[in-house]
Amino acid sequence: MANTNREIQELLADYAVALRDGCLPGFLKSLTRDEAQSIKGSEDFWEATEVVRLVNSAGFGDKAVMPDVGLFISRVDAAIVSRQKKAKASTRTRSRNHANL
Amino acid sequence: MEPFVRATFNIFIRHLYRYLGNEVECEDVLEDVYADIWEDPSHLRDIANDRHLLRTVYLYYMRKRLREVYRRMNRNLSLSQADLDNLVAPELGLCELTAQAELKQLLHRMLGKLKARERKAIEMWMQGMSNRAIANQLKTTVGAVKMLEFRTILKLRGMLKDYTEED
Repeated sequence: MANTNREIQELLADYAVALRDGCLPGFLKSLTRDEAQSIKGSEDFWEATEVVRLVNSAGFGDKAVMPDVGLFISRVDAAIVSRQKKAKASTRTRSRNHANL
Repeated sequence: MEPFVRATFNIFIRHLYRYLGNEVECEDVLEDVYADIWEDPSHLRDIANDRHLLRTVYLYYMRKRLREVYRRMNRNLSLSQADLDNLVAPELGLCELTAQAELKQLLHRMLGKLKARERKAIEMWMQGMSNRAIANQLKTTVGAVKMLEFRTILKLRGMLKDYTEED
């Protein structure tokens, strides 16, 4: 049977394209067991991924459409309020449990 | 929290973009990062400068959240959990904390040192071209382009090492 596993340079090129196009899950899912093993053992691959990230950031970081900070702050506020509610609810449950003891 | 978010939003989101390459995921992760900071800001005492701030936020808040992004899909992957973590939220590398403007200058300098064909391949890649389109331009095969990119990236890595040693 023919060996259809990608070589390490192909894996890096595919990782780079996936990172550039914002679709890393597709790359991760495409890896076979043998490819995952060869990634694990390749120092070159791990060193190269760092450069890919930097090149990606320098090339596309500025072109990315970043959200409006005002709208984003309201999302953060909502997340904080939800955590506050969760914290209150858990202390209430704990004190009720204490009372039952 | 609002002044802190306003002051740091651009730095943090651009840093996250390096790992995710996707604005929507960057926003989702950053929302949790800010909520985590609000819950426990203890690591952010005695911050000396922007670089120190970014390093601390990455190590104590962003990394944890980055690792969670793809953890759910791990049962369908051939990659081990440790390798997935290293790929998605790696250790801080040589120039990982370099500011965007400085990084661009550095890359420009490094690209100038490459052979014409290598530089052309990386520049076309940075313009968003597919490997097939690059291969057509360079009149070669897709496999040869991938090999060229790999060798060039390792060459750039060597230059980065020299740069950080000089620094």
